[in-house]
Amino acid sequence: MYKFIAVAALVASATWGAADFAVAAGAASPSGAHAYIGYPNDGQVVTANKPFRVWFGLRYMGVAPKGVKYPNTGHHHLLIDTDLPPMDQEIPSDRNHLHFGAGETETMIQLPPGKHTLQLLMGDDMHVPHNPPVYSKKITVIAR
Amino acid sequence: MRRTDVPAVPNPSPGSTLRLCALRALSRTVLAVSIVGMVLPVAAFADSTASPAGAEEYIIWPPDGAVIHGGKLWVRMGLRNMGVCPKGVAFPNTGHHHLLIDTDLPALDQEIPSDRNHLHFGAGETDARIELPPGKHTLQLILGDHNHVPHAPPVYSKKITITVQKD
Repeated sequence: MYKFIAVAALVASATWGAADFAVAAGAASPSGAHAYIGYPNDGQVVTANKPFRVWFGLRYMGVAPKGVKYPNTGHHHLLIDTDLPPMDQEIPSDRNHLHFGAGETETMIQLPPGKHTLQLLMGDDMHVPHNPPVYSKKITVIAR
Repeated sequence: MRRTDVPAVPNPSPGSTLRLCALRALSRTVLAVSIVGMVLPVAAFADSTASPAGAEEYIIWPPDGAVIHGGKLWVRMGLRNMGVCPKGVAFPNTGHHHLLIDTDLPALDQEIPSDRNHLHFGAGETDARIELPPGKHTLQLILGDHNHVPHAPPVYSKKITITVQKD
């Protein structure tokens, strides 16, 4: 059973890999799809260096973990204090680009004192933004 | 583990060799049993997927007791310490949302029914647009695995009551 799944996964990933090299662009997103930050609100004041929850909102589209190719889905990436990355490449993975590849729809973060920006960007099964890209408004939070 | 199997004396007595063989056989059996044990649950407990400790499902919006004008609303589905994954895809510590409207929890060892009172969000949706007639209604979320069966232990939200007022 496991072996069968492993083989199927291997064949499938090989196929997707080939497709991605050929197209070099993200998976298609459905029309009307949009991401939004449910919390905090734009301009919200949060306590510095203390964890607070960030809610990931997504409409007219679904969530799927990384590596799962399912139509009209993607996984959330939270951009902190940074602009949108290139839309035709894998989203970087670092302190400013948090990946939620296990299908998470919320997280806890903490920020040092000061003004910070938060923005959501959906990535497809290969961590590449969709076509057209699905991202939220960039919001500002003030940590103090 | 292997090191303990190697005899410390250069010429082991027949007794210790025998014990060694018995030990090897035992460890092989243990290994075989553990491998079978890893594979079997897929078949034996095909009707339930484990949920991680601390997993919690909840309705972000609307709040309990909310009054909705007109009857059309977005229900925002919340999940903690677990992820969302579309139906049919087995991915550890994930599931997909089911919204129960005006009904109690279904049987927890069976596929969640799919009807007007049990809405499935098998495409990994986390926001649901629904429309309800005027009156009191209950909303509750329950997470289903790739086969639409609740997890073990089951992950479900508190049941909330909302009132829809005709506009």
